[in-house]
Amino acid sequence: MNYIIEKKQLEKVLKAWSADYEVYAPQKAKQFSAFLPLGSSDLALDEPHNTRYPPKSLFLPQTEVLLRYNSRLNRLEDVEFNPKQRILFGIHPCDAQAAALLDTVFDTDEDNDPYWSNRRRGTLLIGLGCAEPPQTCFCTTVGGGPFNAKGLDALMTELEDAYFVEVFSEEAEKLFADLPKATKEQQNLVQKVQKSAVAKMAPAFETEGLKQKLDDNFDSEFWAEISESCLGCGVCTFLCPTCFCFDIVDEVQRSERVRNWDTCMFRTYSLEASGHNPRPSRKERTRQRLMHKYSYWLDHVNEIGCTGCGRCVRYCPVGLDIRAMLRAANALEMEPANA
Amino acid sequence: MPEIKEKITTEIKRLLDEGLVDVVIGFKKEESPLRPQPAFFRKVDDLADLEYNGLCQNNLANYLTRYPPETRIGIVVRGCENRSVNALIVEHQHPRENLFLIGVPCQGIIDIKKIIAEVGEEISEFNEDGDEVILVAQGKTHTFKRHELLHDSCLRCVHPNPVSADVVIGEPLPEGDPEAIRETVEGFEALSKEERYAWFKEESERCIRCYACREACPMCYCTECFVDNATPRWTESDISPAGTQAWHLIRAFHQTGRCTSCGACERACPMDIKMTYLTDKLNKDMYDNFEFVAGMECETQPPFASFNLDDKKRFVV
Repeated sequence: MNYIIEKKQLEKVLKAWSADYEVYAPQKAKQFSAFLPLGSSDLALDEPHNTRYPPKSLFLPQTEVLLRYNSRLNRLEDVEFNPKQRILFGIHPCDAQAAALLDTVFDTDEDNDPYWSNRRRGTLLIGLGCAEPPQTCFCTTVGGGPFNAKGLDALMTELEDAYFVEVFSEEAEKLFADLPKATKEQQNLVQKVQKSAVAKMAPAFETEGLKQKLDDNFDSEFWAEISESCLGCGVCTFLCPTCFCFDIVDEVQRSERVRNWDTCMFRTYSLEASGHNPRPSRKERTRQRLMHKYSYWLDHVNEIGCTGCGRCVRYCPVGLDIRAMLRAANALEMEPANA
Repeated sequence: MPEIKEKITTEIKRLLDEGLVDVVIGFKKEESPLRPQPAFFRKVDDLADLEYNGLCQNNLANYLTRYPPETRIGIVVRGCENRSVNALIVEHQHPRENLFLIGVPCQGIIDIKKIIAEVGEEISEFNEDGDEVILVAQGKTHTFKRHELLHDSCLRCVHPNPVSADVVIGEPLPEGDPEAIRETVEGFEALSKEERYAWFKEESERCIRCYACREACPMCYCTECFVDNATPRWTESDISPAGTQAWHLIRAFHQTGRCTSCGACERACPMDIKMTYLTDKLNKDMYDNFEFVAGMECETQPPFASFNLDDKKRFVV
């Protein structure tokens, strides 16, 4: 069923949801927007692209206490989970798709990470499609789209003074049941908006055969060339909605075991206790970042582990562009296998 | 600006043709005019991509420490980069005789974040004409005065000219007013202790510990940074206030007498954290106490790194 939220009604609707849910929405924090609890600041739904800090942090916080030890009583204490149901309002399709991809890591039949799934399963994702995708975005290249529904409970398309809502889950249906239904004309208009957004996005690189190219060129000098200007900081991976690597550290002085985001771009990530580092330079680390997204994800779940959100392109301090790297990879000659 | 780019190209071509250097570090064009990228020229053919304009954000001296001492490096240096190179030479990070400094008097680096705040990031063209910056964003032309878009560090720059280049391209520019940076620091000093701490908290606690500031800084070249050290652990590992505050404090203190106020740390930060006020304060202290400015030449050790038996003071802090 499709519904309409009038823009002037939006605040009222969000407030009503707040009775039963913790509502998170992009809001202006300092110079840029972030997903914050409703009422933290002004809503920032009209930004041309994603929040800078990825909403994956609401499922996999950058720092999370896994267990706490009471040294006085000499026993472990329970770590509280957030039991409240949540709504992420205005999440872009690329970030929702990323959450769905990360479910294949943290919430499968064989392996289940309770920290992730407790947050994830209790959260509704109400998406906002992108009518004017910025130049740095490339979702359509990697199998997504500016109005892709994957991972979403509902998807909004902005109209002049309202949001048109397509609802995909029963739970979300309850949220919208009291709102006016969309008309046929509105639906036609929305189709046009969505089609035109897709048409605006030219393919950024060829994905057909890309995995094979990367695999075949694992030992190529290409990696040294494309990583030469890389600083080895964590901007691309920390802001990436699909990067999920973490490190577990005992903060002994606080008697806590914490899980922190970690990144393959750091030297210490692959440093072994012996002092040996199997990825000793930026070349190997850059290769890992690209291979993980464009080869290893395909091995595991047959999907590209990048949703084209463009954050790594926008915020790289030296202007490295993953799209240009992959175009360069595509242009490589095939190296003879294991020559 | 195009004529400077042309002269830089000619000079690099000469260095490569005559076999005087193994590599030249400069900038190259990227698809988006907003983001020129550090580049490493080894062949004359690659020079077609060379870029030099106000959008070149990084401090190229950062890359020097990646090469063994015998590598002969040519490097395009603006005022701050030249001083960073000197500070690195002082710390024995590369021998002066294996460096060729192509100096360019610098009109200041344009802050991409200021551009985006003004006209968005869909920039298709970028041009500089004297004091003016002309941008085309989504088909519309916007003209700004350069100082409206300059990075804050560049607005306060005292030494825009290279101080020890082997060749200088372009006419020297007037020195900056030292009062500008002094006033900024004094403004911070004038705040109460509580206000200063509140400011520091607000900035540092936004940190996501990606270490872009560290990696963008030429002087942060330690193979093992104190935050990466596991035995002993110097700071908390996470983004707790204690962890992020400790990172920002210690990072700044390690720069004492070494920082050239280039602002590369701030420009690299994905969370728009202000951090140069800390290093600028330390630079001011270095000047007020020791009359020392980092990188003005490549002989003198920074005060905290030098030791002298004839020191007049019993203990130097």
